Amino acid sequence: MHNNLMYNCIMYSSELIKGTLKTIVLKLLSQTNQMYGYEITQKVKELTGDRIQITEGALYPTLHALEKEGVVTTEIVNIGKRVRKYYTLTPKGKLKATEKVNEFAEFIDTMKFMLDIKPQIS
Amino acid sequence: MYTLSEQQIDFILNDIKSRGVVMEDLQLNLLDHICCIVENELNLDDDFDQFYQDIIPRFFKKELKEIEEETILLLTFKNYYTMKKIMLISGIFSVTTFLIGSFLKFMHLPGASILLFLGIMTLSLLFLPLMFALKIKDVNTTREKVVAGIGTLSGMLVSISILFKVMHWPFANMLGGCALFVFVFIFIPLYFFSGVRNPETKLNTIVSSILFVGASGLLFTLINTRPAQQQTEVKMYAYLESEELLKRLQNMTYKVAITNTKQQLIVSKINDAAEQMKSLIMVRTTGKSKVSHDFENEDIFLEERNLGPAFEKGQEGALLYAQFKNSIEEFNLLNSKSNELKIPTDHFKEGEIVLYNNFVVLDYITKTQMYVATIENSVTAIK
Repeated sequence: MHNNLMYNCIMYSSELIKGTLKTIVLKLLSQTNQMYGYEITQKVKELTGDRIQITEGALYPTLHALEKEGVVTTEIVNIGKRVRKYYTLTPKGKLKATEKVNEFAEFIDTMKFMLDIKPQIS
Repeated sequence: MYTLSEQQIDFILNDIKSRGVVMEDLQLNLLDHICCIVENELNLDDDFDQFYQDIIPRFFKKELKEIEEETILLLTFKNYYTMKKIMLISGIFSVTTFLIGSFLKFMHLPGASILLFLGIMTLSLLFLPLMFALKIKDVNTTREKVVAGIGTLSGMLVSISILFKVMHWPFANMLGGCALFVFVFIFIPLYFFSGVRNPETKLNTIVSSILFVGASGLLFTLINTRPAQQQTEVKMYAYLESEELLKRLQNMTYKVAITNTKQQLIVSKINDAAEQMKSLIMVRTTGKSKVSHDFENEDIFLEERNLGPAFEKGQEGALLYAQFKNSIEEFNLLNSKSNELKIPTDHFKEGEIVLYNNFVVLDYITKTQMYVATIENSVTAIK
């Protein structure tokens, strides 16, 4: 029990997050109409109770790559002196989001089996 | 909520730029992101400058540029796989076409040239450059990059010059010479001296360098021009001698009075077509319609090569050839009583004329004219 508590409190390592960043971003975008970079980091923080904190250094490269792949489109909105880039999923992106989430779910099952993680009795 | 002044926004943007972020898209994204953080996390009475210096390290490990580098890496990563795929496909394609092309060439079947052309072109203009582009991603030093670049360049030159040679295109020897020069005097020394210093690659470098030198030596022997030139000169003299013989035969014949006007008409049709075809071939290869015995001094060189597009179906040369062939058949029909008085036509059995090289066709045309002159001669002699 003590171990479990500790596990809940720490932030996940960046290696773990790196492989799932695309999935996280795609899933978030599929749930909302459009989001901008800062909003995405805050939303992830809020949803995971601070356990997953996306670094800006990883988020923006990923967003640019997704844009290039044609998975997201962008819309630029002027906010006073600066501009804000909103990201929206394309139809192709919606498919990709589902695909990525399913892939990850299967991955979890496989990892559970491989690492021999017993279901926890609450 | 803290409100940023215009000066502060300019300050942040300039700071992002001065930290080495060049992509405008990324600059604007980061600017908005930092502004959001300031607006949400900074209290009204806090110090902006201090806060800014505190939050900016969140964005990187060593410097802000990392974000841009990571972005570029991710953007090119996708290309990397496509390039790799294209490289493999083009490699397989060029090897296959090359093998089939060589086989067809060996068997003297049609389609060999186009396949060899496609194979070598794909190899030198698609496969090799792609291999180079992928290779320089793996090597770190400028020296290795230069070696890879020059290696690729000389590889492209060598294969293109071989293509020119096989196709009998002009400047093949010059191209081959340049390719070998780059390969032997620039690439091999660079390769050798950059590899031999490292104890790990020393042996490998020495062995490969010896192989390279050996291969280029063989290639040099192959494209060496002297014997080919001599042979061509011998062939040119042989052709000019046939022409001379033909002239003498014709002179003998046409001194005798014309007896059979119908036959005479056919004969002049044959000779007309023959002379036109010969000048067509000459113009294509030498730029002149006639070559004299003094060709060496006039610097005219009748290189052995194909007949070219003028002899393809429906073109001038092919039409002349058809006229030539028909007139010969007409001639033979007229003289069908005696085999002695016929022009041999075994050549007609073999495929289209465009498949033959210029010397073969010139020889055939001249010989046919000689037959005509001889037959004319014997006919008039009998009478």
